[in-house]
Amino acid sequence: MSSYRELVTQQPGSNAFLLGNEAIVRGLLEAGVEAASTYPGTPSSEIGDALFEIAEEAGIRFEFSVNEKVAVETAFAASLSGLKSFVFMKHVGLNVASDAVMSIAYTGVGAPMVIMTADDPSMFSSQNEQDNRIYAGLSHLPMVEPSDPQEAKDFLISAFDMSEREKLPVLFRTTTRTSHMRSTVTFGSPRQRTRYEVLNDPGMFVTLPSNSYKFKEKLIERMGKIAAAGYEKVFNSTIVNSGSNTGIVCSGEAYNVISDVLTEIAQPLDILKLGLINPLSEGMIVDFLSTHKTVLVAEEVDPVIESGIRAISQKNGLAVTILGKLDGTFPMSYEMSPSATEKILRKMLHLERNENSEKITLGYSVPPRPPVLCPGCPHRGTYFAVKRAVKMLRIDNPIYSSDIGCYSLGDYEPFKEATVMLSMGSSIGVASGFRGATDRRIISFIGDSTFFHSGIPGLINAVHNRSRILFVIMDNDVTAMTGRQPNPGTPANLMGGLRSISIVDLVKSIGVDFIREIDPYDLRESLAASMEALRHEGVSVIIAKRECAIIRDNRNRKAGISEKYKVNPDKCSGCMNCVTTFSCPAMSISNGKVTIDPALCDGCGVCAQPYVCPFNAIQIDEVSANAA
Amino acid sequence: MQHNIIITGVGGQGVVTLGLIISSAAISFGERAIMSEIHGLAQRGGSVSVDVRIGNYRAPIVPDGKADLIISLEPLEALRAISRAGPSTVVVMGEERLPPVYLGIHRQSYPDLNEIIGVISHKLRLYHLDAMRLAREAGDTRTVNTVMVGYIVGLGLISIPQQIFHREIEKTFAKKYADMNMKAFALGLQTAQKIMATGNDTVEIQHGFG
Ligand code: SF4
Ligand code: SF4
Repeated sequence: MSSYRELVTQQPGSNAFLLGNEAIVRGLLEAGVEAASTYPGTPSSEIGDALFEIAEEAGIRFEFSVNEKVAVETAFAASLSGLKSFVFMKHVGLNVASDAVMSIAYTGVGAPMVIMTADDPSMFSSQNEQDNRIYAGLSHLPMVEPSDPQEAKDFLISAFDMSEREKLPVLFRTTTRTSHMRSTVTFGSPRQRTRYEVLNDPGMFVTLPSNSYKFKEKLIERMGKIAAAGYEKVFNSTIVNSGSNTGIVCSGEAYNVISDVLTEIAQPLDILKLGLINPLSEGMIVDFLSTHKTVLVAEEVDPVIESGIRAISQKNGLAVTILGKLDGTFPMSYEMSPSATEKILRKMLHLERNENSEKITLGYSVPPRPPVLCPGCPHRGTYFAVKRAVKMLRIDNPIYSSDIGCYSLGDYEPFKEATVMLSMGSSIGVASGFRGATDRRIISFIGDSTFFHSGIPGLINAVHNRSRILFVIMDNDVTAMTGRQPNPGTPANLMGGLRSISIVDLVKSIGVDFIREIDPYDLRESLAASMEALRHEGVSVIIAKRECAIIRDNRNRKAGISEKYKVNPDKCSGCMNCVTTFSCPAMSISNGKVTIDPALCDGCGVCAQPYVCPFNAIQIDEVSANAA
Repeated sequence: MQHNIIITGVGGQGVVTLGLIISSAAISFGERAIMSEIHGLAQRGGSVSVDVRIGNYRAPIVPDGKADLIISLEPLEALRAISRAGPSTVVVMGEERLPPVYLGIHRQSYPDLNEIIGVISHKLRLYHLDAMRLAREAGDTRTVNTVMVGYIVGLGLISIPQQIFHREIEKTFAKKYADMNMKAFALGLQTAQKIMATGNDTVEIQHGFG
């Protein structure tokens, strides 16, 4: 998609090469969804980016909520108002939202509502690879899982139909591979939108214990009805290839890997492909189990389907041998690797090893390229200044309590300013918890979006309990790591008419008596404020305020501004202070001196300050300045 | 037609765009294509890799050892991708060097390009070119991807006709950029054709063209 608008404008029947997440957006349009909300998180972020761009044109009420729980509550309110609603988040976001979701399972919904979780097996961009299929069992909610972009679109529409009929929210699970896979998708026709009549008798949506007592039985009854309603015909398929002795049960990306491997090893085994993860389709599964001697369950991360299938087999007294993770056939961690799966299947089917798949080794150690803060990133100045302040005050072995965002990269060299990091907003809660337990100084880092998301209660707790913490809020105006989505603190001109919330006012109102706003591009000011803050006895808050470098870059590019910095080789002493302590990706060493790659430099000029280059060797490139 | 292609580089180099050009061309040519994109933690500057599979595949990841083609826009990333190569993998490498900050922090310089070329071509067939220079000649460094595509087509490493790519370029880019990209494609293609004409794909010969 060169523009997300094509998701709205392209004709039914036409094909497009879509990302799974883009196909989901098209699915929302075809299903006639009218309300959507999210808190951005990879691998679900593109859905929000697309909706942000097209919502108005498509007539969808869309919001980036302050966190996932509020996003779910927002979508639920829309559902109660009769609007078909959708809420989406990354897997760990569902932890935050789960409190609300568990209750919505009890109350049921008004208009159809689908809750999407984008899981991240192998943790490409997450703190864990928790398997959110388990939430389906925990909440007693139906769950659907697609295996490719076309299915993502079609299953999503069917998930809304299921929610409409059963009056329950439907969980919709993708993984990084399905969300970030591209393939050809055929567009369907958008449905007519309907405003649903929603009954609102007193108590109907109130989870007081006396009500919940009744809701629970009704929930179990509804799930029983779903199990008998024939949804397996919509979401599951049995692919009989050969009437083989061995069959494979799989779903999602595991199905894709299994299909390819079976082709590769020329073994056309029967497959039962599950799209309905909860409730499991017992009749269909019993049929499959009883027509095969051995059944292999192939799934990613936890043995969720396998456990269910073993229970079904036991309950029905079947003699079939079941293989999966619980017996050690498949590993308990990570996404399925096609090569490892091929090895496992070859071994299981007593086939020869495939010599062709041998790997090449070069015997050369390639220098690593971990993710880095961008050139011109304001966080670099903040980390540099705080580290320097710690050194100047001779603070020994401080605890750095970090949080989730681009600034998590402060954990890497050269800063190494992360001792502990758990989850969204945890920096300040953990930081405060060290009170009275250690003499080490506590320094905590959080971004603006994460602060709004779940950092505020932690700060209240820290102030209330009289902790001694330096709390640095790195405010770059946006939710940067997931692609610069707006958050409540984003300047109003960048988010069209919404009201911007002031972090300083918030912090003041909590009763913090030491607050400094700094510009992290000004190292002198940042260092002075950090030292002062570290001398303060209570909770001190530094708000390091500077927009995300990519926003500035994009604006400069449009305006034709191109400022670059360069190293004057006559002045450069080769001390390497700049590359070893500040480490902007535009800098590198060649022939014993430092050079700056003009294609990468974004002209922030921070490195020209004497703290970075004591020899004043870094200066603006006049040529670039004049050209601008 | 079956092609398993791994495309690597550094965030900001246009790895995803390169994958999209190849996949869309394959689809226009009537083939099935799937592609996987992995977005890591960094917005820019980290290793990026995209897999493109043309043919009757369902899983978007190229299995280890099964890549027909590794296209890397950056030499160190080419080296890194070799861990996924097999004996018959062909490597096409752009020569733009982007030193990881790791090197600076450890007071090291970028390894010598000829050393990298030597290490790879010792085990695998390697084509490499200074695609940036050709992109600049075409009028914009951002056409570097299109140079690479032209080069690969010229080397006969992908069985999709030139004309299909011409059409894709016209479809994908606005008029002004389409002309530039057309030129970039032609420059890559011609460089490859010269190599093919000499019948000599060894490192030394092509390095002259680079
Ligand atoms: S800090 Fe200055 S003098 Fe030292 S290596 Fe960097 S540019 Fe050269
Ligand atoms: S001015 Fe210096 S610190 Fe800023 S982007 Fe350029 S090289 Fe990096």
